[in-house]
Amino acid sequence: MNYLSLDDLTAAVARIRGLLLTQEKVDNAVALLAQAIKESTPGAAGTGVSLLDWAGRQTSSSFTDVLVKQADTAQYELGEGPCLTAWAAEDVVLVDDVQADGRWPAWTSAVAALPIRSVVSAPLLAGKEAIGALKIYSALPGQFDANSGRVLSLFAGTAATLLAHIQGKETPQRMTEELKATLASRDTINRACGISMERHGMSQDQALQRMIRDARDAGASLGRISEKLITKVPPAER
Amino acid sequence: MGFDPHEPEQRSRLVKALAVADITAGELWLRYFSLSGCAGEYEVQAYLEGLLSLPAGQRDLLAMAANELIEETPEALLDDKPPLLAPYGDQLNGATGDSWEQGNSSPPA
Repeated sequence: MNYLSLDDLTAAVARIRGLLLTQEKVDNAVALLAQAIKESTPGAAGTGVSLLDWAGRQTSSSFTDVLVKQADTAQYELGEGPCLTAWAAEDVVLVDDVQADGRWPAWTSAVAALPIRSVVSAPLLAGKEAIGALKIYSALPGQFDANSGRVLSLFAGTAATLLAHIQGKETPQRMTEELKATLASRDTINRACGISMERHGMSQDQALQRMIRDARDAGASLGRISEKLITKVPPAER
Repeated sequence: MGFDPHEPEQRSRLVKALAVADITAGELWLRYFSLSGCAGEYEVQAYLEGLLSLPAGQRDLLAMAANELIEETPEALLDDKPPLLAPYGDQLNGATGDSWEQGNSSPPA
């Protein structure tokens, strides 16, 4: 016996309807974004984009340079750092000098050996939800100011809107209810159609035509007519 | 289009009713699928564009799906005026989609 998994079906329908993009496309979009930010920011040693789930776990990320990866990995392992703060507070975080900043002591000592002195990070806000953070690292202190934060926020705003659609991890869950109802309705109507065929000795086409006619005459939906047909006791068993 | 001379009229009036109610081909297909429709989404799209012929039964099922959706729109629920509905096979009269079809009219003699 083969059972169709509702999750598979949901994903299939979501894909058919163009609601989901593949993981490859997410990674590609995120990588292009990181590169674009780096090229438009003078003095950037490296940039990165992280997508986070609701618990602050990284689901997708991209870096222009290895040092960004090292600094980011330390953040997510330690559970603290400028990007996590930007994501959690849903606000731009500016760090003039990493070594003089006391907000993330564990992370500061973890990146002490890396050429990272100043950081700016902006949250990716899709609607009211923070879905990740953008960040720029620089090897020199004092490279970023409120203006860099503003520019990064502009990037983040556009990117978040696109990424929220690409993410799609929760899209199947949201669609499951609609799909369940769709399949249940289709089942009901097909069952009613089969009952009609047997009861009246009709072809499938004729049975469906008759049900459409009944629905129109009664001003009811096809689903309602089918439910009535199914619950009605056949004449032979009365 | 196809063998049935009524098909273009039924199709163009369906397209017009969908446009008035702002219903997309994807939404129409999903409802039609839920009503046991057997054509795929791309086939339905091609039918709407006049590129593909569908059997009479499936055309009526599409009309029914469209009309269910149209009657669920807020405009249809709030307006006193009956909404523009998609015609069934027995409601075709040779018009090309310019007349207001109000549903449940008696079949032509």
